[in-house]
Amino acid sequence: MHPGFIFLAVVIGSVVFHLVTPWWWTDIASNWGGMDDTILLTFWIAGGVFILVCLFIVYCVFKFSYKEGRKAEYKPEDNKLEKILTWATALGVAALLAPGLVVWSQFIKTPSNAINVEVMAWQWGWQYRLPGEDGKLGTTQVTNISDENLFGINLDDPYGKDDILIQSSELHIKKDKPVKILLRSVDVLHNFYVPQFRAKMDSVPGVVTYYWFEPNKIGEYEVLCAEYCGVGHYGMRGTVFVDNEQNYKNWLNEQETFSDVMAKFEQIKLDVNKKLAKK
Amino acid sequence: MSEQTSINNNLPQGFKGLTSDFGSDQTAFKGVNWGKAMMWIFLLSDTFIFSCFLISYMKVRASVVAEWPYPSEVFALDVGGVPVPLLLIAIMTFVLITSSGTMALAVKYGYEKNKKLCGMFLLFTALGGLTFVGMQAFEWSKLIFHEGVRPWGNPFGAAQFGSFFFMITGFHGTHVSIGVIFLFIFSRKAFRGDFDTGKKGFFTSMKSDYVAIEILGLYWHFVDLVWVFIFAFFYLW
Amino acid sequence: MSEDYYDSNTSYKAQSSETISSGSGSVSDIDYVKPKEVPDQELYHGHSFITKYIFCQDAKVIGVQYTLTAVFTGIIGLILSWMMRMQLGFPELFPVLTSETYYQFVTMHGMIMVVYLLTALFLGGFGNYLIPLMVGARDMVFPYVNMVSYWMFFVAVLVLMASFFVPGGPTGAGWTLYPPQTLLEGTPGSGIGIMLMLISLALFVIGFTMGGLNYVITILQARTRGMTLMRMPLTVWGIFTATILALLAFPALFVGAIMMSLDKLLGTSFFMPTIIQAGEMLEYGGGSPILFQHLFWFFGHPEVYIVALPAFGIVSDLISVHARKNIFGYRMMVWAIVAIGAISFFVWAHHMYVSGMSPWFGFFFATTTLIIAIPTAMKVYNWVLTLWKGNIRMNVVMLFCLGFLITFVNGGITGLFLGNVAVDVPLSDTYFVIAHFHMVMGIAPVLVILGAIYHWFPLVTGRFLDEKLGKWHFWITFLGSYSIYFPMHYLGFIGVPRRYFEMYDSPYMTSAVGMNQFISLAAFIVGAAQFIFLFNIIKSLKIGKLADKNPWKANSLEWYTPNVPPVHGNWGDKLPVVHRWPYDYNVPGAKEDFIPQTTPPSEVKDTGVEKT
Repeated sequence: MHPGFIFLAVVIGSVVFHLVTPWWWTDIASNWGGMDDTILLTFWIAGGVFILVCLFIVYCVFKFSYKEGRKAEYKPEDNKLEKILTWATALGVAALLAPGLVVWSQFIKTPSNAINVEVMAWQWGWQYRLPGEDGKLGTTQVTNISDENLFGINLDDPYGKDDILIQSSELHIKKDKPVKILLRSVDVLHNFYVPQFRAKMDSVPGVVTYYWFEPNKIGEYEVLCAEYCGVGHYGMRGTVFVDNEQNYKNWLNEQETFSDVMAKFEQIKLDVNKKLAKK
Repeated sequence: MSEQTSINNNLPQGFKGLTSDFGSDQTAFKGVNWGKAMMWIFLLSDTFIFSCFLISYMKVRASVVAEWPYPSEVFALDVGGVPVPLLLIAIMTFVLITSSGTMALAVKYGYEKNKKLCGMFLLFTALGGLTFVGMQAFEWSKLIFHEGVRPWGNPFGAAQFGSFFFMITGFHGTHVSIGVIFLFIFSRKAFRGDFDTGKKGFFTSMKSDYVAIEILGLYWHFVDLVWVFIFAFFYLW
Repeated sequence: MSEDYYDSNTSYKAQSSETISSGSGSVSDIDYVKPKEVPDQELYHGHSFITKYIFCQDAKVIGVQYTLTAVFTGIIGLILSWMMRMQLGFPELFPVLTSETYYQFVTMHGMIMVVYLLTALFLGGFGNYLIPLMVGARDMVFPYVNMVSYWMFFVAVLVLMASFFVPGGPTGAGWTLYPPQTLLEGTPGSGIGIMLMLISLALFVIGFTMGGLNYVITILQARTRGMTLMRMPLTVWGIFTATILALLAFPALFVGAIMMSLDKLLGTSFFMPTIIQAGEMLEYGGGSPILFQHLFWFFGHPEVYIVALPAFGIVSDLISVHARKNIFGYRMMVWAIVAIGAISFFVWAHHMYVSGMSPWFGFFFATTTLIIAIPTAMKVYNWVLTLWKGNIRMNVVMLFCLGFLITFVNGGITGLFLGNVAVDVPLSDTYFVIAHFHMVMGIAPVLVILGAIYHWFPLVTGRFLDEKLGKWHFWITFLGSYSIYFPMHYLGFIGVPRRYFEMYDSPYMTSAVGMNQFISLAAFIVGAAQFIFLFNIIKSLKIGKLADKNPWKANSLEWYTPNVPPVHGNWGDKLPVVHRWPYDYNVPGAKEDFIPQTTPPSEVKDTGVEKT
């Protein structure tokens, strides 16, 4: 069989695979539809180029296979053609780049009404901190971290007292309300990634990184760690629930604040001291 | 030669002329010895190493939270009970720059085939380098034993101060030491007259030539130049 | 004016009324070539077995040594990939593999394939063998340094392999070696393993620098008469630019390795911030993990082109020879190689869009990254336009070239996804990335390497490789690897993260099970096909068809040595003199379909050959 047929089959197979594939992205649950759109745009422009180039190759393979005595064309260069191709490519590239940069400029500009959610990553799990009624997160320091103060909140910072601590891997957020994820890590690099929200960012020990999104679909979503963080990397999961207003409030009310937690530890200490004193 | 003139008339101009000169047959750098060209490219590569070191240093110094130690205090030298900042380092820099001068003289006398003077100036250069390394060893021991500066920490502030200081000056000191070794070898070779007789190298079996001294000179001047940057970034910033 | 023509032994005669005999004699002015500028090189000829084949200073032998060592490590990398695919496709069949060993294999596979196989093979192997032959030099300019370069590489490989046998095993931090992961206890091989890795890399860099300086100076300063830069085969251009990139990019890796070893050995905190592990605060503090990423990728991105550019160059030559047509737009091809090389130093942070660096960098690096697509696309157009109206021999070499074109275009366009910063956000750290870089810098360059081996095997050994086995080898390799990596992109779309030891418990990843099994099966088959190739080599060395001189009717100098295979010193008494570029195929009016580089213009006066 002429090898051209197989190359043709590869091209057609690729297109068919793309059309019938059962593997495709999850339904989007955030405002980052723009990312999906830019992917699709890239798909059509770049995919079109792929198909054209491959078909051109296949055509050449059929048409110009070796024949004894045939003369190939002798044409070292063709300035006009090369110029046209360069500019056409530049134009195509610009068409891909421009929308990408627009989406990126949205991605790095957090809306002012976004709720701050601190995500604290460790080997291998997640926990979260939400601002209390003052709407502000207390300042933190790594050196403050202890069994009682898992987030390392500065004790003398008044904003920290009412911070809501969620010492579980389950996070609830409100639908249609922008969320600014502030990422921290105590040990190695991690990455807070929910495929349905599309966005992701590494958490780096010693630095607070961020990204934002606006969840727009109620549901339960799995959190994956997307930056290699050691032998337990693949098991580092969590859950995000996107709730309506009421459910979110109910959930929030059940959570403990930082001062609650500290008081609890104080109580335990007192109890222990009392017991010791009795003895 | 008629064809020569006809060629000259058709020489391309501007950028095209530049590329066609550079790309003309056999050699890109006309009349440049292979070893010399190789040293230049090696130094370019080495520049990238030192740049990576220094840029990392700047990055960390700019972003580290702890206070950066104040260099004129840390590096000060006690003279009769009065701390004089930059004294030792000024002497070190002076010695190293002077050795660049003697190196240049060695190259000059080499090309004049004056093996005695050439060998002597190579020896001076080597001794200058050795003095520099010696003073560096003194500075290190002073920092380590008297000031308590360690690569992993120091009493003055940010731990990275010591880390970068020891790493970068150590790396530079290694360069100087390697240079000193070669200077001694070359000085012996010069005195023995190897460069005049074209004696074949022990390892490479390539003929000795006075151009080797210039190549070593390039390296030596480069090491000096790098020192100027290290000096500026560590002691003056 | 004296002329020393090298008698090329070709039977070429121009259809000219006043045929001028080659060799010294009466020659017209159009044959003028500048007189010799470079003194003849004195070479050390080995006398014993050891100096001829082991500690040998002949660049050709060193090239073969590099190739064999690189292929040996490559086979180990291949076996590691089998283990990984076993775990991903059929975890229950392979219970011995724990997550620790899995991550160790991932790490070693990556490092071996990128640095110790591809870089060493293209630059050390092909570079050493082809550069002196193609530019008409007798050897590399510093043969002794060149020899030391190989032995440094050899020691680097030994050190790397030793890490498999030390307590704790090799490092399992991923080939990117990101701190703080790399140095923390709990990461496999965080003790001796990582130190051996860093030492091995440092040795590799030092050894490579020795070789690289040789390649650059040989190309710049030791070409033969008439060999202008714009008459060099694109292979030489590709290797030359890649070597420059390597000489300027490896320093960053070297510095990163030094700083990391100090963090490990002395407890400095270059890359280590304050860390709390298992409830205990470690003694580190104040370092920057992202600094390492910058250093690593400042090396790592040019590294991609260090692998790609030689492949670009070699494939251009192979296509041109076997399509019997000049490479289309040679000057554009050269400038594209140079431009890609230059821009590749300004794109590194596109590997770090979601690393937590300042997001403003995203705009700059996305723009530079997509700009680099333009010269790359031009190269692709010129390759396919070289096929246009050619006279294409459909032999194994050409098949590998076509396979390269398809996989490279495929991998190139997925680069447009990942380079464009906002598009990268959902796709980065997923299987899309794995599929992309394996397609573009794994499969594509490997196909070129294989094609190049089929092409130059007759030169090196005097025998052909078996064409029939070769075709089997090609189709299994090409179709197999395409069906590994093409579907893998779609795993990335689903959002399956990379470097997952297991992934079947996620609700939307269950659909990936079947595909993973299929990919694993394909990977086993492709890997096995490489053993057909090894068999082919061994068989052909013994009983392969004998090759004539210049069996492919190529133009470039390496086929015109007086002895085939070429001996030490390459050229016999007289160096060749070059009169044209190496792509004069099917020149109108010429009697044969090729004009060697050594043919003087007076012999082809009446043909339509263009002046180069």
